[in-house]
Amino acid sequence: MKILIADDEAVSRRMLEKTVERAGYEVTAVSDGRRAAEELCRPDGPRLALLDWVMPQLDGPAVCRTVRRKRSQRHVYLVLLTSKSSKEDIVEGLESGADDYLTKPFDPGELKARLLTGMRVLELEDNLLEAREDMRYKATHDSLTSLLSRGTILELLSGELNRRRSSKHPISIVFGDLDHFKQVNDTYGHIVGDEVLREVARRILGSVRSYDFVGRYGGEEFLVVLINSAVEKAMDRAEEIRKAVGGSPVRTTQGPVPITLSLGVSVSRPSDTLPLEEILCEADGALYAAKSAGRNRCCLGASSRV
Amino acid sequence: MTNSEHASIEQYVNMPELLARVDNDSELLTELFALFQEDSPKLRDALDNAVRAGDLRQAEKTAHALKGMLANLSMKHGATLAANLEAAARAGDEGEIQRAMAAFNADETGLLAAVGRFMAGGEP
Repeated sequence: MKILIADDEAVSRRMLEKTVERAGYEVTAVSDGRRAAEELCRPDGPRLALLDWVMPQLDGPAVCRTVRRKRSQRHVYLVLLTSKSSKEDIVEGLESGADDYLTKPFDPGELKARLLTGMRVLELEDNLLEAREDMRYKATHDSLTSLLSRGTILELLSGELNRRRSSKHPISIVFGDLDHFKQVNDTYGHIVGDEVLREVARRILGSVRSYDFVGRYGGEEFLVVLINSAVEKAMDRAEEIRKAVGGSPVRTTQGPVPITLSLGVSVSRPSDTLPLEEILCEADGALYAAKSAGRNRCCLGASSRV
Repeated sequence: MTNSEHASIEQYVNMPELLARVDNDSELLTELFALFQEDSPKLRDALDNAVRAGDLRQAEKTAHALKGMLANLSMKHGATLAANLEAAARAGDEGEIQRAMAAFNADETGLLAAVGRFMAGGEP
């Protein structure tokens, strides 16, 4: 953990530096408030700081205010060092955004204990952020395949369709449905069925570009949103997906399982005003046509052919 | 403090407290005293200039810096004199500033001499 020490007075700065280094921290020391604020506002800047109250350029409370205003991604734990001891001063310091204060001359034992308190607060924040990120991921992704969840991909598709006119780029959607997947579950069991779904998801993801969206729409149904793809490109991409999924049997714990995918494609041009439901409906119709025509193929929706 | 030219460092510095604060690191102690020898006269000059120019805000800030440095080095008497000077500058009391300056300068001269002897090895 890197700690910033800001103090214009050399003796105090050196004593702090040495004490903090001895406690096992990495130290960056500066001698004025402006440099302290710059260091702390950097995205990879120190997350814990000891700031002298009286400093040139910016005083300690002003550094606290600057940091709180500019850097909001992750909390920076700020400790003001002060020889001011009136309640008014302490309140002013804490109201400026400081988390704690330490009176000068500092006691090394107390300083180390306050740093540990800061570390605990930062660790707690890290854990909360991690938990929030984990929950966000779980809420937006399918737990079996790790693809986007149905709700998330529909939301993203809706956003892309709203932007489609200003971006002047066509958007294509591809509905995929595994052929005879019920037979896989019935023959090999649901655990193998899950293994197949995971591998199919991996193969679809490997067939699209990093900025396309892939989601699990239902049991064995997948939805792919292809950004900036007109009819020809979309059909080529759908064909690549079909080949990637059906090209070789899926290796499972029960041995290789052959599987194929039928796909329906629908294209929304910038001039189109079709709502999301109708675009999905067209792709669903094309998927139905692919199934009817013998499965393991790609079909284009009727209005996308125009 | 009297007889400042020959006073021992213990008369100015609470050595046991300072040694505890630097974790008995004599190398660090030497480094800090050297910083003090270098910075203290500069701050004192800055203080004199600010008082002479009537810039009491700057005088207060400089006295505050001196107070912090002296307190960090367990030079308690000096820190108290610097605190008096800071308070006088804040109050804008010219007469009190002059009295506080005189007391501070007298102590500081003896203190620097004691530190000088300590650094030269004149004291254990």
